[in-house]
Amino acid sequence: MQFFLGKRTFLIVLFGALLLMPSLANEYHIFIANLVMLYIILALGLNMLIGFAGQLAFANAAMYGIGAYGAGLLMKHFAWPYWAAAPGGMLIAMAAGTLLALPALRMSGIYLALTTLAFAQFVWWLMTHWTSVTFGAGGFIPPPIDFSPIPVTQEIGIYYLTWVAAILLYLAAKNTMASSIGRAFVAIRDGEVAAESLGINLLRYKALAFAISGFYAGTAGALYGGMLGFVGPESFDLLQMILHKAAVVIGGLGSIIGSVIGGVLLTVSVEITKELKWSIEMAFGALLMLFVLFQPTGLVTFIKRWVPGWREHLQYLPEREAQRSIDVEASVEDVGITSTDESAQERRP
Amino acid sequence: MEMFSYLMATGISTGALYALVALGLVVVYKATSVVNFAHGEMFMLGGFLAFTFHVMLGWQYMVSLVLAVVGSFVLGIGVDRVAFRPLMQRQTLVSVLLCMVGLSFFLKGLARHLWGGKGDYLTFPPLVSPEPMQFGGIMIMSQQLVVLVACGIVMAVFMVFFKLTRAGRFMQATADNPKAARLVGLRVDRVYMMTFGVGAAVAGAAGVLMAPLTLLYPDMGFMLFIKGFAAAVLGGLTSIPGALLGGFLIGIIEQMAAGYIHTGLQEVAAFIIIMVVMIFRPTGLLGGSRRRKV
Repeated sequence: MQFFLGKRTFLIVLFGALLLMPSLANEYHIFIANLVMLYIILALGLNMLIGFAGQLAFANAAMYGIGAYGAGLLMKHFAWPYWAAAPGGMLIAMAAGTLLALPALRMSGIYLALTTLAFAQFVWWLMTHWTSVTFGAGGFIPPPIDFSPIPVTQEIGIYYLTWVAAILLYLAAKNTMASSIGRAFVAIRDGEVAAESLGINLLRYKALAFAISGFYAGTAGALYGGMLGFVGPESFDLLQMILHKAAVVIGGLGSIIGSVIGGVLLTVSVEITKELKWSIEMAFGALLMLFVLFQPTGLVTFIKRWVPGWREHLQYLPEREAQRSIDVEASVEDVGITSTDESAQERRP
Repeated sequence: MEMFSYLMATGISTGALYALVALGLVVVYKATSVVNFAHGEMFMLGGFLAFTFHVMLGWQYMVSLVLAVVGSFVLGIGVDRVAFRPLMQRQTLVSVLLCMVGLSFFLKGLARHLWGGKGDYLTFPPLVSPEPMQFGGIMIMSQQLVVLVACGIVMAVFMVFFKLTRAGRFMQATADNPKAARLVGLRVDRVYMMTFGVGAAVAGAAGVLMAPLTLLYPDMGFMLFIKGFAAAVLGGLTSIPGALLGGFLIGIIEQMAAGYIHTGLQEVAAFIIIMVVMIFRPTGLLGGSRRRKV
């Protein structure tokens, strides 16, 4: 049962289907499948920042844009090949993300949220107004990408590049969050002072959380620019911000597999909303509200409850449950000490 | 000199509007420790409600103003009931903020749906003749003067309400110490609800006053929210005089930067001020020191 319904089977089926997509579907469906993978990457990066490290930052869309603009402009102004420009854009986004950790050290909650929001709007303003560098509101077309030894078109080449990136970034996220880094993030989320008193270096881990999420968003941005063959500011506005948030919340805050689910569902539901000619703002504003109010841990807890084989190392325990979890059940079992700790093993029901 | 006085007059009159938006934010923040992310939408919907009553139905401006203020008061209560009350019981700030962000987008989309599509700007008729007036060598638009006076009246009404009425004192007491307020028998939940309502009503009034000066469009709420927040942060986020001072300062700085340095700066001045204040002086100009709770 677990073999057929488990998390691993789901991922193999999902990425297998995405692998076969280009040979089965039409161009539009390939585009959507590519977007699905980009949103998986974006949701993974944002979830590590909000869901694990507990830093409510609003600059993810800006990082996404910095990645796309960084890569595109390095190609356009300095004629770098994509293979050098894309990592360049990713690193610029990562550096910008790390810079945002500086205010995050002194503030939290609302202050952090609004400072990062101001930063995101400032970046957006630069994209639209710094015409001599960013080509202004009209955007620009980066030079075509050369896949020369491999005989593929740019669309298909970028598609498979995104496929590989999405798998690697998923594995990286899963393993990082299961390591001491993930535990440090969760400790910071649940109480900064307590985390500090346990010897967790706040500066290092907050900077790391922002750097990781900046890197993920920057990667998605660099791939997005290549996929679309066009970079313009309207792809990185406030609406993107709420879409990323919705993907994370729908999937499940603090769950890596939840972000994969969230990325897939979000992209599909955006397309459905467009198809039905509904207002995307209203639909996703309402969706975000409904999930926060009625299913704050996202769809993934629902799946975890009913389907075997979906357990994760660190589970997001919201609010009151987090208080209760001081008992042995959650804290010992979820960290994964059970296999070595005999006494804890005995106490399990 | 003429340019300076013109920029100053514009700065002060837009600053008065920012001060009103900041006032609502600070009142809510003081009482609940939450910044109402949908505050800009209260402002925007106040303007749109006034447009509906004044332009579409042809009622008098004063009547429309009162109705729009009542409407935004109700909306503020809605924010409390939808986003604040159910989530604050679970004690998570992140979910309150996420819910408010969702709500603000929903309201923005609703306004776009009801009052016109994207990029559709509504014009609001001017209140008085657009002729400029002379004041001892200083040119001032009579429109701006009316707005300035009206903002002053709204602030005065708010101050009287906040300082002298029973409801205002309840709000003060709750903001000061919610636990103690509950102990002496105040219904803190109701006070929170009223605080959200009053904050939104002030923002709605600002929206109605701004409408004749500019065009109405659904995205204006977010812009004003950011500027109001910049004003509130500059003043210290917990200080009502600070919010008013911050509002005027933001208005003036913005106009000066646009007039003497670069016109594009008018839009970003607020973002830059937020970032600079947050990094170098998070307590603002008049705010007390923030205690770090363990």
